[in-house]
Order: sequence, then structure tokens, then C-alpha cells
Amino acid sequence: MKPKERSQCGSVDEASSFASVTNSDAGGAPLLRLANIRKSFPGVHALRNASLDIHAGEVHVILGQNGAGKSSLIKVLCGAYIADGGDIEFGGKKVSVRGPADASALGVAVIFQEFSLAPYLDIAQNIFLGREQGFMRLGLVDKAAMRRAARDILRQLGLDYDPATFAADLGVAQQQMVEIAKALSQNARILVMDEPTAAISEREADRLFEVIERLKRQGVAIVYISHRMKEVQALGDRITVMRDGAVVDSFQRGQVSAEEMVRAMIGRSLDSLSRREPRPAGAVVLAARHLRTAKLADISLEVRAGEVVGLAGLVGSGRTEVVRAIFGADPLTAGDLEFDGAPLAARPDRSARKGMALLPEDRKREGLALPLAVRDNATAASMWRLFRRGWFSPATAERVCADLIGRLKVATPGSAQLVRHLSGGNQQKIVLGKWLAAGSRLFMLDEPTRGVDVAAKAEIYRLIDELVRDGAAVLMISSELPELLHLCDRAYVMRDYRIVGHLDRDNLSERAILDLAVHHV
Amino acid sequence: MSDQTLPGSPVTVGGYLARVPGVAFILLAMVVAFQIGNPRFLSITNLSNVGLQASLLLMLALPMTLVILTSGLDLSVGALIGLAAVIIATLLVAGWSIFSALAAAVALGLVVGLLNGFMISYLALPAFVVTLGTMGLCEGLALALTNGEPIGGFTPALEAFYRAAVFGIPVPVLVAAAFYGLLYLVLYRTRFGIYIFAVGGNKDAVHLAGIRANLVHMAVYVVCSVSVALSAVLLLGRTNSAHPTVAVGMEFEAIAAVVLGGTSFEKGQGWLFGTVLGVLAITVLRNGLNVLSVEPSLQVVCVGVLLIAALLIDRNRKRPVARITE
Amino acid sequence: MTTLQAPVSTALPAVPVPMLVRLAIIVVICVALSLISPAFATIDNALNLLRQASLLFLVASGLTLVIIGGGLDLSIGANLTLCACLSASVIKLTGQPVAGVAVALGCGTLVGLTNGLLINRLKIPAFLATFGMLWVAQGIAYWFMAGQVIYGFPAAFRFFGGGFWLGVPVPIWVMLAVGAGCLIFLTRTTIGREVYVMGANEAAASLSGIPIARRRMLLYALSGFAAGLAALIYVARLNAAEPGIGEPLLLPAIAAVLVGGTSLFGGSGSILGTLSGAVILTLIVAALNLLNVGSAWHPFVTGAVILLAMLTDAFAARRAGH
Repeated sequence: MKPKERSQCGSVDEASSFASVTNSDAGGAPLLRLANIRKSFPGVHALRNASLDIHAGEVHVILGQNGAGKSSLIKVLCGAYIADGGDIEFGGKKVSVRGPADASALGVAVIFQEFSLAPYLDIAQNIFLGREQGFMRLGLVDKAAMRRAARDILRQLGLDYDPATFAADLGVAQQQMVEIAKALSQNARILVMDEPTAAISEREADRLFEVIERLKRQGVAIVYISHRMKEVQALGDRITVMRDGAVVDSFQRGQVSAEEMVRAMIGRSLDSLSRREPRPAGAVVLAARHLRTAKLADISLEVRAGEVVGLAGLVGSGRTEVVRAIFGADPLTAGDLEFDGAPLAARPDRSARKGMALLPEDRKREGLALPLAVRDNATAASMWRLFRRGWFSPATAERVCADLIGRLKVATPGSAQLVRHLSGGNQQKIVLGKWLAAGSRLFMLDEPTRGVDVAAKAEIYRLIDELVRDGAAVLMISSELPELLHLCDRAYVMRDYRIVGHLDRDNLSERAILDLAVHHV
Repeated sequence: MSDQTLPGSPVTVGGYLARVPGVAFILLAMVVAFQIGNPRFLSITNLSNVGLQASLLLMLALPMTLVILTSGLDLSVGALIGLAAVIIATLLVAGWSIFSALAAAVALGLVVGLLNGFMISYLALPAFVVTLGTMGLCEGLALALTNGEPIGGFTPALEAFYRAAVFGIPVPVLVAAAFYGLLYLVLYRTRFGIYIFAVGGNKDAVHLAGIRANLVHMAVYVVCSVSVALSAVLLLGRTNSAHPTVAVGMEFEAIAAVVLGGTSFEKGQGWLFGTVLGVLAITVLRNGLNVLSVEPSLQVVCVGVLLIAALLIDRNRKRPVARITE
Repeated sequence: MTTLQAPVSTALPAVPVPMLVRLAIIVVICVALSLISPAFATIDNALNLLRQASLLFLVASGLTLVIIGGGLDLSIGANLTLCACLSASVIKLTGQPVAGVAVALGCGTLVGLTNGLLINRLKIPAFLATFGMLWVAQGIAYWFMAGQVIYGFPAAFRFFGGGFWLGVPVPIWVMLAVGAGCLIFLTRTTIGREVYVMGANEAAASLSGIPIARRRMLLYALSGFAAGLAALIYVARLNAAEPGIGEPLLLPAIAAVLVGGTSLFGGSGSILGTLSGAVILTLIVAALNLLNVGSAWHPFVTGAVILLAMLTDAFAARRAGH
């Protein structure tokens, strides 16, 4: 590296000199050690006993199902959560991480799935945002120097991007690379990547792996979260499997097969949640044929009255997009929908009146009007049905709302309570309740138990059972496989915005779903 | 989208044109049409006239661009420039020096800008209502100070300044050009400028980068108000009297110019030079309509129609416009 | 996962506290003004003040509906001007008050529908669309009037503004009727209830099957209709129409809505609040007049009221912890 450039990106230089020191003792003492970390929230043990050794120049993969505690562990690592117990050691010395600033001082950087780029700043400006002081000349920002420095960092990653490109003009994979470059420019020694390949193409993923190899050579430690077996085996120098908030196993590369890893992820057989008795399915309620949207490719599926159909797949595989397209929230570019045997023009207001219900993934943003009362939310979807002439009667609304509160066992001081003040589980019950009041016959439930406590979960399961017993049809998305197995009569499995398989009752198993959903070799 | 072919950097002329806001083409069409209709349109006299008319609007629209880049809006600029003119004129009549009077205008701009900025940035209140409130304050104060009567009889130096020309170029045009240069440097060559785009695009990211995002956000309103208050000098030079409500409505044309120029209310997307194009389009339109003896009140309607037309054009284009780095 | 919850709050009080505060403000101003001027506390003066408040309330009522639905209408004042000028000239031309009424209400509604269309189709923010409409409507009005003032209308028409029925001025009856209409709309119709949901969370409302675009058209149309109605009252009362009448009403209308406790963020507010806000604004103006403060100060005071109302709201929300 030429001396002039060195002065402009000293941080990167430090990183590489650091590499020469740590590479020598790679495999020896860990760079960072998390020992017996515990973290709980009211009612939930997010982390029970999690330990992790991170070595410089290594890729450490963390495997685990949703809710296994991976995200919580990362949040402890980057200072977003403060652990209730356990130790963090850096370079053999005990340190305390009380906030994000402590973590970044240790050289920990996290690439989250939601990026922190400003769309109309260029790549260079984004990389050095807040750290422009190194590029000032005569009181002005020396753009050329900043771009040169950015180009250098990108080159270290083997990327030939033009640093003058707006972040808004970059694809997801490219934005991710810019985030990595940003972390690197801040002298990151431990780079945490949360499912980095979830939303990018295979070619882009290959590019990412090349970059990761480069970073390893520079002595950067990488903590990598993924479900994809192919990646895990190709990348992971060390693989740690988490389950139920604890580390259950840790392997070196090549020690175990993909099959064993999956088994470790699933762990115990799922006796706690039994399978349903077979249910007699009725007439076809919803038939979707060859649906396409901007993202989805050729989606065909059927849901019958009296059955629960699962829509399985990893986060980002297109499950949410399918139910949104069916409901009419996203425009279809091709395909037909039939509801009760009649063609349906997908538009939310018509879908709702025909008897379709959508329980969105993000209930706070899309499911509820948080500043309004329970009764306003409970009747929001059923005005047309409860009051056919358009005249609203508070007494009727009150009665409907009270019925729902009783039927769903909603814990609220009354129907005038603001929904904002309810717990997650009770909020979710209100979203369900608004569709019960609307008399819906097809319920599309997108992660209905996310962020919901155990008791509310059981309530929601009971409700789904009741619904199908009464002849409704349910199309259900869940990332929790035990939940899908417990509730569903059959399931479609998605990967990369397509349906890649259909599992009927006899073939429905956790293994079968994962087989279809993850990217195998 | 492959790694090597990054979209965005407008390397070719065609790529650049695809990103120019629709108003540029409308402007070109208007110039051609007016020139055909009236061969003296492109004469030196008329061009310098257009320049004079554009200069004051530019003084309001350029800082308005910064405000809109932060996803905000400042409706108080028209009333503020009127109030600043009233105050400067009153002080001049009272025997103050021009510099003391300007200092008072700066102080006024500071107060209004801090008030707007504090409520919008730190209290997260909607910009359009906050600035509507300060618009009321300024308009009321100007009316109350003057009892609705214009103030005249101050030093003729201001008018002389406005009418002067250097090498045939009117001084107000030079002032506006210098102001453009200054804001260009601020927006594209200083940390403050970088942070303006960042606040509009992703305020959380600005916080995370350790920058005092709220301060940056507030400072934008201060910059806008102070420069608008100073621009009152041009207004005084043009009218040679301070009328409290003469500039009411200028905020509309300033905002229209910015929106015409392709700056969006979202994501910190915008282009400073686009605002110049927007100002020129409005000014040329008005100039042409003047020649056709269309009444000023209908000219405002035409500006509204122009705005809708430009928005329609840009909405139907494939690539988002005004994504030009500088 | 996160089960960190806000504490469950106790049941809401029957009469919202802010309403009591507003009533207290009204009482305090009235008592103070009665002490200053003995002529204040008379039936005649009260009716006179209410008549003034009625115009403000009419303009603010439509705005209230729009803001509850999560929008904003800055064009109400200019719309009023346009309706006033058009209907005045039609009455002059035809001598038929009915034609004038039809033109004012039709024009107001049309301008409102155009606002809704611009927002729905161009996908531009409400403040931008209605702010543009403000200048377009005003420009058309000025052009149409060409510097003229139209005055002198048939007595049958003037009755709307200056007449009495059962001893009470007609504008007050109109105010009561519109107030009752809005109250029924907001509390007793399904569309009214849906408007609150839409204002509080548009995405959730849409995913609940509420047709957002159509509701928005309706709200802006109602706001325009209210402006047209206000124009009729105003012209009948002034017995004249000129293009400067509407614009000064925008700020007081927004102030009345804000003082009335309607949230600028949508989803909450009431028509009775706006009624009390309009009365408070009118009383403030009356106080200024009694204290011999020139009318030139009115925009200043209105602006200050808007800022104060927002500040109070912001700090109240902060203390409530939202």
C-alpha cells in the first residue's frame, strides 16, 4: 500500500496489522469469549446458558431454529441487550459490555438485515458517515480523497464498485457489501452477519463468500448466522448449534454431516406438541393458480374448508408475499384467484367482504390502530356486516366487542382500553377477533404467535382448532416448525419466492420441511 | 443485478438525461415556443428581465431545497421575507445604518429558524403546521408594525443596488448565482451538507453514526430563515417600499420550484440545480404569460398546472429522476 | 420474546379532561370580558359572538374530518373564496338564490374531490396537493372577479347570513345543524368510525378491508362542501363578495381544530372539540377588540395560538409517555 493512501485509511491498515498478530495464535486463545450468558424477559428465558468462543480469522456459524436464541445472543454481543449473567472476555480479559458503544470499542460490528444507509448519499459518504474529519481540506470535504479511501476499502473486499454511486441505486447484496466495508473502515475485528444470504441471489452469495474468505485472511473474526446447510458446511470453521436459549453442541469443520447438524437443531422429538387427528376436508374455499407479482413466481395452491394448511419456508422465502397477494394488498401481475368457486379480483376491501381474513406479520404496523380503543379495532373489519345500513350503534359494537373479549379471553380492563396498552398476545387476539366479527371463512395467519407468551399461544392454537371445526379454512405461516406440525393438516414449502413442495399429512415432518426449505448442496 | 454493472452513476449523456427532471424539457419547450411567438423573447433585455425576476425566487427556493431534503417544508418564508423587509425599512427610516438593519434581519431569521427548527426537529411536530403558525406570527407582526401601509422613503441605495449591473449582468442575478455557489459548497462539500441528505434519508442512521441529527435538522431551518430574511434586501430594492403582504404567496412558488426540480419529500432525494431549473421554468412561464397579457392571478393557476404536469411526467418515467450526485 | 408491556391503564374518565379545560378557558375569558365591559354579558352580544364563531366553525368542521382521517386540507379558505365569488355572480346574473346555493355547494365539493384525486392518483402528500389547490383556487377567483366586488343580493338570500329564526341568527342554526351532522357522521355511521381507524393507521385500515381511496375522496369532498356552505353564509352576511375573504380564515380554522384537541397525526379528535375551539378563537378576537388591539395583530395571535396548542400537545404526549 502506498504511504499516501495509508494516511487516508489508517483504520483499515490497523486491521491488517492486527491480523498478523492474531493469525499466529489462531486456534489458541479466543479473541472473544462469551461464557454462560443468561438473559430473560418477563415470562421468557431468551438465553439460558449460552457460551461462544470467537477466534480471529475464523468463521463461526451459529445454527438454530427461530426462537433458539441466536438473535438474543447477538444482541448481547453487540450491546443491544445487557446480559443478566455470565461473562464476556476479550483477549483473555473480562470486559463489560453495557451498550453499543462498548461493543464497537471492542471492534464488534453487526450487519443487520435492515441496513443503516442513507439512500441519497454515495457509497463513500455512507462508509465514512460521521467520520469525515479525516478528509477535510480547507474546511471542505475532499470528495476525491474520500472516494479513493472508499475504493481502497472496497478493493480489499475484492469489489470494484464506483464509490460515487448512490446507496439507493444498489441492490440488497451490494448494500450489504457497503455495510461490510463500513464496518471494516471502523476497524471491526468481529463482524456479525445475521442471515446475510436471506435476500440475495446465489451468485451474489458466492460473491459474499469470497469477501468472507478475504476478511478471514485479514484476521477478522466472523460470526455467521444461517439456516442454509450448503453455506454452513462451506464456510463454517466452527459451528455452534443453539436450541431453546442454550448452546447444545459445537463442531469443528468437517466433523459432522449436514444430517447430524439438522438433528442437533431439531433436538428432542416433539412429544410436547402432539399431532392433530386427521380432519375431513370440505369444499375448496381458495384456489390460486399461477399467481405472479413483482416478486413471486408461479404460485398455485388450494385451501379447503375445515383444514389448516401450512405455508412453510425460511424467513424471506416469499411466504408473506403470497398471503398479501391473495388478499389483494400487493398487485398481481398474472394468475387467477377463485374464492368459493367464483373468480375474485384481489382487492383488500372486496376480499374482506367475501370472507377472507389476513392477520399480518407485523401486527403493530399493519394489524392494529394502536392509538385507538379495543372496540374500535375489534369492529374495524366488520362494520359492513354488523351495520348493513351504515348506521353505527355503539351498543351493538359494545356487545360484539364484549363477546370477543370473552370468547378470546382477552385480558383488558374493558373495551375502551387503548390497544397500545395491551400485551402482544392480547393484541394478537384482537386482530383475530376483528376477523371473527367479520364472519371470515378463510383465515390467512402470518406468524400468528410471534411475540406472544406461552399462554396466549395456547389460546391461539385452541382458536384455530375451533375455527376449522366450525368449517373455516386456515392458511398459516409460521417459522416455528413444531407449531406447523402441531396445527397443520398439510403444508406447502417455499424457497426463493416459489412453492418448492407440498407435504401431505403422511409426509409432513420437520425433516421434510427443512429438506425443502434450506439450500442443500 | 450483477456486481459489476452498478446502476446509478450517470456516465453517459443518455443516462444523465434520463435522470433530469421533466421540468427541464418543459422549460426547453417553453423557451422555444415563446421565442417563436415573440422573437424578442431571447433578447438581452428580456433575458436580463427574466434573470431579475428569477433571482428573488431563487433566494427563497434554494434554502427551501435544503428543508425539503430533510422531508420538511417551510411555509413561513413568504411572510418572513415580508416582515424582514418591513423591519429593515423601518430601521432605515429611523436612521439606522444599512448594516445594523441587516443585523436585525439576521437576528429575526435566527429567531424564526430556531423556533421552526426546534419544534420540528426536537419535538417531531409536523413541519407544515409549525411553519404555518410562524407564518401567522410573521404576517401578523408585519401588518401590526405597519398598520397595513407600505413603508417608503428609505435610502435609495437599495434600489440602486437592485438596478445595478456588472458587465451587463444585473447585480441580483450575481447575488443569486453567488448564493447558489455557496449553497452548492455547503450541500455537496461540507459535513453539514452530507448530514442533510442523511437526515432526510435515514435519521436513525445519522444518530447511530454519532452525529447530533436533531441539531443538523434544526440548523437547516435556521439556514433557511436567515437567508430568507437577508433576501429582503432584494425585495426592498425591487419594490422600493416595504409592503407587509407583498411577498405572501412566494412560499408557494418556492416550494413549487423545488418540487419541479425533482426534489422529493422522501428519503433525502434531491438535486440543488434542479431547483434552479424549477425557478427558471416558473419565471419563464410567467414572463411568457406576461407577454401574452395573461393576468397575474391566472399565472398562479398556470404554475399549479405546470406543477401537476411535471409531476405526471416524472411519475410515468421508468427511472426516478433527479438522482444526480451534484 | 419481548413481553415487556406498558402498564394497563385504568378506565378512561367519562368526560375527557381536555374538554373540561377548554370549557374552563371559555368561562374564564367570558368572566374576564364581562368585568372589563358590562356590555359583554348580554344575550345580544352572545348571539353576535356565536354568529361570528359559526363561520369559523363551518370551515373548521370539514378540516376536522379530514385531519381525523389522517389528511390535511390547506385549500379550505381559498375554496371558500372561489365558491363565494362564483355563487355571488350567479345570483347576480340569474337573480335566483337557489342557483347560487347550488353553485357554491357544487364548486366546493368539486374542489374537494379534486384534492382527493390528486392525493390518490399522484400519490403526493396531502399538504402539497391542497397547498397547490389553495393558490389555484385563489388565482381563479381573483381572475374571475377582475378587481370587482359583487354586492347587493336579494333579501331571500341575505336571510342566510343576517336573518333570525326563533330569535336566533340563522348562521347559528346552520352551525348547530352542521355540528350535529358531523357528530352523527363521526360517532353513528360506520364510515365515520372507519375514518378514525384510517387516520390512526392507514396500512392497518387497508388490510382490514376499509377502502382507503374512496373514504379519502369522501372526506375531502365533505371538507369542500363545508367550505361552500361557509361561503354562502359569509356572502349573505357581508352582502358582498370579493376575492380576499377566504384566505384569512385558514389559520383560524387550523387553530380552532388544534385547540379543539384533534391530533394532527390523525385518528383522534371530535367535532365538539372543534366547536369549543372555534368559540375560544372567537372569544380571543373579541378580547383583542375590547382591549383595543388592532385587527392587524389577529394573524399574529392566531399563529401564536397554533404554536402554543401544538406545544401543549407535544408536552402532554411526552408526559403521557408516548
